[in-house]
Amino acid sequence: MIKKEMIAMLLAGGQGSRLGVLTSKVAKPAVAFGGKYRIIDFPLSNCINSGIDTVGVLTQYQPLRLNSHIGIGIPWDLDRNIGGVTVLPPYEKVGKTEWYTGTANAIYQNLAYMESYNPDYVLILSGDHIYKMDYEVMLDYHKSHNADVSIAVMPVPQEEASRFGIVVTDEKGRITEFQEKPEQPKSNLASMGIYIFNWKALKEALVTLSEQEGCDFGKHVIPYCFSKGETLVAYEYNSYWKDVGTLGSYWEANMELIDIIPEFNLYEEFWKIYTKNDIIPPQYVAADAKVYRSLISDGTEVYGEVYNSIIGPGVTIGKGAVVRDSIIMQGAVIGENAVIEKAIIAENAVVGPRVVMGIGEDVPNKLKPKVYSFGLAVIGENTEIPADVKIGKNTAVTGKTLPEDYPGGVLESGETLDKAGVVA
Amino acid sequence: MRAVGMILAGGNSYRMKELSNKRAIAAMPIAGSYRSIDFALSSMSNSHIQKVAVLTQYNSRSLNEHLNSSKWWNFGRKQGGLFVFPPMVTADNGFWYRGTADALHQNLDFLKNSHEPYVVIASGDGIYKLDFNKVLEYHIAKKADVTVVCKDVPGTEDLSRFGVLKMNEDCRIEQFEEKPMAATSHTISCGIYVVRRRQLIELLEKSVQEARFDLVRDVLIRYKDVKRIYGYKMDGYWSNIASVESYYQTNMDFLKPEVRNYFFRQYPDIYSKVDDLPPAKYNPGCEVKNSLISSGSIINGYVENSVIFKKVFVGENCVIKNSIVLNDVYLGDNVHLENCIVESRDTIRANTYHSGQDGIKVVVESNERYVL
Repeated sequence: MIKKEMIAMLLAGGQGSRLGVLTSKVAKPAVAFGGKYRIIDFPLSNCINSGIDTVGVLTQYQPLRLNSHIGIGIPWDLDRNIGGVTVLPPYEKVGKTEWYTGTANAIYQNLAYMESYNPDYVLILSGDHIYKMDYEVMLDYHKSHNADVSIAVMPVPQEEASRFGIVVTDEKGRITEFQEKPEQPKSNLASMGIYIFNWKALKEALVTLSEQEGCDFGKHVIPYCFSKGETLVAYEYNSYWKDVGTLGSYWEANMELIDIIPEFNLYEEFWKIYTKNDIIPPQYVAADAKVYRSLISDGTEVYGEVYNSIIGPGVTIGKGAVVRDSIIMQGAVIGENAVIEKAIIAENAVVGPRVVMGIGEDVPNKLKPKVYSFGLAVIGENTEIPADVKIGKNTAVTGKTLPEDYPGGVLESGETLDKAGVVA
Repeated sequence: MRAVGMILAGGNSYRMKELSNKRAIAAMPIAGSYRSIDFALSSMSNSHIQKVAVLTQYNSRSLNEHLNSSKWWNFGRKQGGLFVFPPMVTADNGFWYRGTADALHQNLDFLKNSHEPYVVIASGDGIYKLDFNKVLEYHIAKKADVTVVCKDVPGTEDLSRFGVLKMNEDCRIEQFEEKPMAATSHTISCGIYVVRRRQLIELLEKSVQEARFDLVRDVLIRYKDVKRIYGYKMDGYWSNIASVESYYQTNMDFLKPEVRNYFFRQYPDIYSKVDDLPPAKYNPGCEVKNSLISSGSIINGYVENSVIFKKVFVGENCVIKNSIVLNDVYLGDNVHLENCIVESRDTIRANTYHSGQDGIKVVVESNERYVL
C-alpha cells in the first residue's frame, strides 16, 4: 500500500503579471533568479531537504519552460519510484471542464492525485517565494498544537502590515482573527501563503466549497475552516523570505545576493538549493576584463567589465562592454562597448554593440507605470537590440527590434517597444 | 551503436608525482568542472554506445565517487548501462590486473555475454571529443582486425611516454614502438582502439595463456605483421594528461578561446557529475585576468592566467599566477602562488608563499580548515 505522511502541492500556475515581459513567455516560478536558479528551485529544494519526496506541481500559465525545467525531477532527487514530482495541468473531464479558477480550485481538481498517496497532511506552497524553510519543523509544530490547519506567518514592520493578510493570535499561537489588508492592523504577523492541512479537513473543505467561483485559500478555504471552528494555528517564521512579485523586489532580491555575507546565503553546505544544470563548463574572465562585486554562472565568458551584477549561465559579455547593477540571464549576449546600467536582460536576448541602456530621466512608464518602474530597463527573452541605440529608464523592449524602431536612435525613458506583441 | 565500450582507468603513473597519491589518473579534475574520464565517457555516450565498462584498480575511491550514478552521462538505460569492474578473486584467478590485456581478459565474461559485434577500448586519461561511429565505419571499410586511433604531434613533443607508430599509404600500421627513447615518427597512438568482439576475445585468450599481459606490447605490436592493424588519424584536440607537465598544459589549454569553443560551445557536449554549487562570487577587491573560474568559488584576491576549480576560496590580497587550484581549496589572505598546482581539499594558511621555480610545483598542504 502506498502511504506518505505529508505530500506537497506547489501552486505554479500563475502568470505574475507584475514581472512584465519577464513572464510574457514563462510562468513566474520558471523565471531565473540568482544567476543559475529559477524561482521554483527554492520551494522544490525546501521540499526534498525537508524530507518531502512527493510534490504535485500545478501548472497552467505558459508551462513549457517549467515542464522542461522540472522534467522527472532529477536535479532535486525527486525522481522516485513512488511519489516524486508530478506536473499537474488542468484537464478535460466528463461534465464540467474548467481551468484552474483559483488556488483552492486547482487543488480541488487534483483530489484524486492526493488521495492516491493516502496522506495524513498536505502542504500547500506557492512557487514564487525565495526562502529556505524546513517544513518538517512546521509539521512538528502543527502536530504538537493538534491543529487542523497551520499557517506560516512572518512578522512585518507594523507600518507595512496593512499591505498584507494579517493574522491575530492568542498566547498559544491559535488564530483568533483574520484581517485582509487592514487599515488598523491588530498584529504584524503576515501570512506567507504556506499552509499545512490535515488531509481530512482539507478534503472536506474543498468538496464543500467545490461550487465556489474562483475558490481561493486565503479568501474561501481558510475562512471556511475558521468559521467551522477548526483549530487554526500560526507558525511563526523568522528567517529570510522574499516575495519577488514585482520587478523592483525581484531586482533587489537578486542584488542582495552579492553582499559579502548575504542574508540569504547560497554558499552554505547545509540546505543546498538544487537546480537543473544545462551548462556545466567553468566561466572565463579575459585578460582585460574587470569583475567586481558580482555573481557569475557557469559557461559565461566575460571580455568586458561587470560591476554589482548577477550574470546567468552561458552569457557573453563583449569586449569593452560595461555592465552595472544589472541582471543578465542565461544565454544573453552583450555586444562590444555596450553600456548597460540597471537593466534586466532576459534569456537569449542579444544586445548589439555600443548600445547604451539606462540613460535619461526617471519618468514613469506610459503604458504600465506600476509594472515598469524602479528606473529599470527590462529586455524580454529572445529580444534583439540593434547596434548604437540608446534606451532609457522604466522601459520594456521585446522582439526583433530594428534601428528604425528607435526614433533618432533613442528609446526614451518611459517608452515601451513591443515587437513580440506580448505586452497586453 | 554496434559496440560496447571499455575504459581502462586503473592506471597510475610516477610522472603524476604527488597528484596520484590521491586518485587514479582517470579521476583527475580537468578544466574547472570536469574529470578526465568524462571525455571518454561523453564521447561514448554521444556516439550512442549504450554499454560501457570502466576497469579500475589503482586508488579508485575518488573515481568511484565520481561514477556513483550513470545518469550524468545518459547511461543507466534498460539496454546497457555503466559498469565498474575492479579486479576480483575468483575460482580461477587470484591476481590483480597484471596489465591492460589481463584487465580485459579478467572481464572476458562481460565481452562474451555482450551481443554487440564490436568493442571500443579507450583510456581514461585522454582529453578529446571523438565520434566512435566514424572510427567504426573506417574500421569496417578497411577490413581491419584492430583500428588504432592516432594523431600527429609536433616534433618538439617528448614521445618517450607514448606509443609511436608508422603507417603505410593504406594506413596499415607497419611500425609500432612503445615508449621509444628515440622516436622515428611523429604519429602517436591515442590509446583508443576498435576491434571486433570475437577477435578481441581470441587475442586476449591467446595472450594471457602465454602469460603476456600488455595490450600494446603483447597484442598490437606482436600481431602487427599477421593481423590487419590500421591507424585512424584524428584531427581534433587530443591530449594525454598522465604527467604533471602535460596535466598542467592541458588545463592551461582551456584558456585559449579555440579550445574552449571546441569543448564548451560546440556540439556535442561533455557531461560530468553535477555538483549543486552556486554561481561564483567576485567580492570587492578581487581582480581576475585570463582565468577560468568554476562554480561555488569565492574570489577576493588577484588571479591571473590560472584555472580555479570548484568551491575554491581565494582570500584577500592573494596573488595567484599561472596556477591550477583544484576543487575545494581554501586560500587564506595574502597567499602567493606562482606556477603551482594546489591539490584538492587543501587549506593554505595566510601569508604562505609557493612558487614553482623550474617547472610546476605541486602543493599539498592539509592544514586545519579555518571556519569562516
